[in-house]
Amino acid sequence: MQDHHLAFVFPAFTNDYADHPGQTMPGFDQYFSELLFKAASHTDQELAQFTFENRAFHDDELRTQYITYIYSCAASSLLRNNGLSPGFTAGYSMGIYAALFDGGAVSFETGLTLIRLAHGSLLKSLPGAEYTMGTLIGLDRKDIETLIDKSAFSIEITNQNASHSFVISGRRAEVHQLLKLAKEEGALNTRDLSVSIPYHSSELKAGAMDFADNLGKLDIGSPQTPVISLVDQALLTNPRMVAAELVRNLYYPLNWFNTMQALLGHGVSHFIECGPSKGLAKNARFIEGARNFYTLNAIPPASSD
Amino acid sequence: MAPITDKIRNEVKEIVYSFFADECEVDLASINSNTSIINDLDGDSLMFLELIEIFKKKYQLDIELKVIGKYAVKHPVATIGQLIDMQLLIIEHENRLLEIDQ
Repeated sequence: MQDHHLAFVFPAFTNDYADHPGQTMPGFDQYFSELLFKAASHTDQELAQFTFENRAFHDDELRTQYITYIYSCAASSLLRNNGLSPGFTAGYSMGIYAALFDGGAVSFETGLTLIRLAHGSLLKSLPGAEYTMGTLIGLDRKDIETLIDKSAFSIEITNQNASHSFVISGRRAEVHQLLKLAKEEGALNTRDLSVSIPYHSSELKAGAMDFADNLGKLDIGSPQTPVISLVDQALLTNPRMVAAELVRNLYYPLNWFNTMQALLGHGVSHFIECGPSKGLAKNARFIEGARNFYTLNAIPPASSD
Repeated sequence: MAPITDKIRNEVKEIVYSFFADECEVDLASINSNTSIINDLDGDSLMFLELIEIFKKKYQLDIELKVIGKYAVKHPVATIGQLIDMQLLIIEHENRLLEIDQ
């Protein structure tokens, strides 16, 4: 039976797996290995070379996405096998694929295919310029918009994590310049996310349309566990909505802060970050009502009963 | 503007020490004013922001984060002692923090 007070949330891709829960979650390593070899067989044989120790593919954006996805799927599958059954799932940025797998809308293999197709379509669609994304903490949306307007940059705010925490996407030189200006304006922290694709920005519309053309060939079902949209916070309940969300997620701005508010509004009181990250859990400290937000290594006994 | 009393000074110190001991999972007794937030505790800017929010609520402060950010650019914080000093200045001066340098 689904626990409507519990949500599984899936982080964006990362290449930092230092805190993998092999020690704290018995069975995780086995789940991970099985899915890793399944992914190697289905999508990319090189994936089989990965271990948490060798940090293979550290600088490979696509394979990093695969590894994060595999990790996230292993974690949520294990948690479900241990009796946890969330009432909702949500995927932050490229965490959408693991959220859809966990929600039962796509198979593990289809999730891998979606990642490959999306990455390929987006890269193909981008003109020669170099892109990146960045984070800013300490300024509000209006401050950031003013900085962008003043400099006539084509940068877009592509996610809001909390009231004073934002993500931007755009051309690399402009993003670097804006991060510098933001520090001068009083941002407490800024960071270049060092990615090559300006996710969730309108620059990706053509790539998203190309990706959309391929979705008809894939088996996308209705989520068994509602998956919440980061674009408009709607609950995705049928294949048509899922397919539309997969496309929008690439080139529409997201709002994690609003998504968390919506989940709280649905009665969720406990969150588990199912992936190789503490980022969403750290961010939850700045969202009223989201104190019970756990990483995989810190799930209290009461939540795993 | 709130005058800094010994009571406030002690409260701030106690909160900062407890916060980092808890967040960074280190023994409270191992923290002192010279402890490096980044090198010794692996702290980050989100912790700094969280502490600001704690003190904003506790002392009902009227201060914009960007005022603190601008001050921090000129007066970077590296140790627990420096962090406590900055928090006390924030409590004392609130949105007039930048006027200290004028």
